[in-house]
Amino acid sequence: MNCDELRPDYLLYALGTLEEPERSEVRAHLARGCENCTAGLKEARLMAYGLGAEVGGPEPPRRLKLRILAAAGGLPEERWSWFTALVTLAVSAAVVLGLVINYERREARLRSEIAHNVSEVGALREALALIQAPDTREVTFGTGQPTPPRGRVFVHPTGVLLVASHLPAPAEGKTYEMWIIHGGKPAPAGLFRSDQQGNAIHLYHPPAAVAPSDVVAVTLENAAGVDAPTSTPVIIAPF
Amino acid sequence: MLPLILAVLAKGDGDLLARLQRRDAQALSELYDRYGGMVYRLILRMVRDTGTAEDLTQETFLRVWNRAAGFDSDRGAVGPWLLAVARNRAIDYLRSRGVRAEIMELNETENPALFATMGGDPLHFDLARHVKRALELLTAQQREAIELAYFEGMSQTEIAARMGQPLGTVKTWMRRALEQMREALPSALARGEAR
Repeated sequence: MNCDELRPDYLLYALGTLEEPERSEVRAHLARGCENCTAGLKEARLMAYGLGAEVGGPEPPRRLKLRILAAAGGLPEERWSWFTALVTLAVSAAVVLGLVINYERREARLRSEIAHNVSEVGALREALALIQAPDTREVTFGTGQPTPPRGRVFVHPTGVLLVASHLPAPAEGKTYEMWIIHGGKPAPAGLFRSDQQGNAIHLYHPPAAVAPSDVVAVTLENAAGVDAPTSTPVIIAPF
Repeated sequence: MLPLILAVLAKGDGDLLARLQRRDAQALSELYDRYGGMVYRLILRMVRDTGTAEDLTQETFLRVWNRAAGFDSDRGAVGPWLLAVARNRAIDYLRSRGVRAEIMELNETENPALFATMGGDPLHFDLARHVKRALELLTAQQREAIELAYFEGMSQTEIAARMGQPLGTVKTWMRRALEQMREALPSALARGEAR
């Protein structure tokens, strides 16, 4: 076959779809350096390119480029510096901020717990010292009564310690208030709360030494406390 | 102005190839910017599935990335080579799905050496427009036969069977179609002067 006869076959040859015997004919021309067929094939490849390049359709998704660059062994330097560095910086800042906030919250909580525990330990030590003091008197209340609460009052010239149990749970917005009644006149002696089992310890340092005729009383009052009792005492313990 | 812009673009391909051969990842990024959409659309047209088209587009660019060393960066035309690789990846996929019989010599059609003397001619960038116009001038049967050969990798025997026509008729259609397309190409390309 001559070159003119093969010319229509160049495109199919370039596309890899030319059948025999034409395929072998084109190969033979190329093998002997046929200028017509070589130029014709070059043109056919350009035509094939044109066929592929004219295809319409959607753009590829943006992620595809990054996927290809990553698969090729890494993103280009410029992309890394602008994109990855920003992401890395943002993530790092968020992590550090989170750690700082968490640390500060935890530290504040621990400080509060420690302060509370120290205060409690201090109060307990003080209460224990008062109980063990040789000049402390002990008064029991509630025994023999049909209803709780029960407990003891330790009276010392420097302080009055109330240890009570079976205290009824105060209503919402209410708290216990202790009174020292001197000469028939109640003076506020501090607010306290009971635990979930109805137990309470309350230590009060009066401005002046209590007298043997004084009485300790406890009433339920508003949470902020009051200057004079407004309810019937739940505890009355004469010294 | 347009020829000058096209010439600058064409010159850029040679530089791009040289940088690809040096394993410059930024060059791969630029290659994708220039041809990624074209490659993806061609593959999508052939396989008709976006996920597969993404996978095969990735394979195409990685293949070029790994084989760029075999290309003549001074005279090579990376666009035609890239699309040849993309088309072959899609036909390989269609074969693996049993859609196409294995009659093609794919490796033979995407050898970088085949594209090494095509030159970075600025006319390449206008080629798609000429080819599209030429296709529009063909009869529906001629166009279908050409598209079956290109997009589905069919031989003339297979095209004849698909279209329910005698082989001789299909050969005549395609012969006339290819002559018409050749005549519609820019004269410099039709004379084979683009080096």
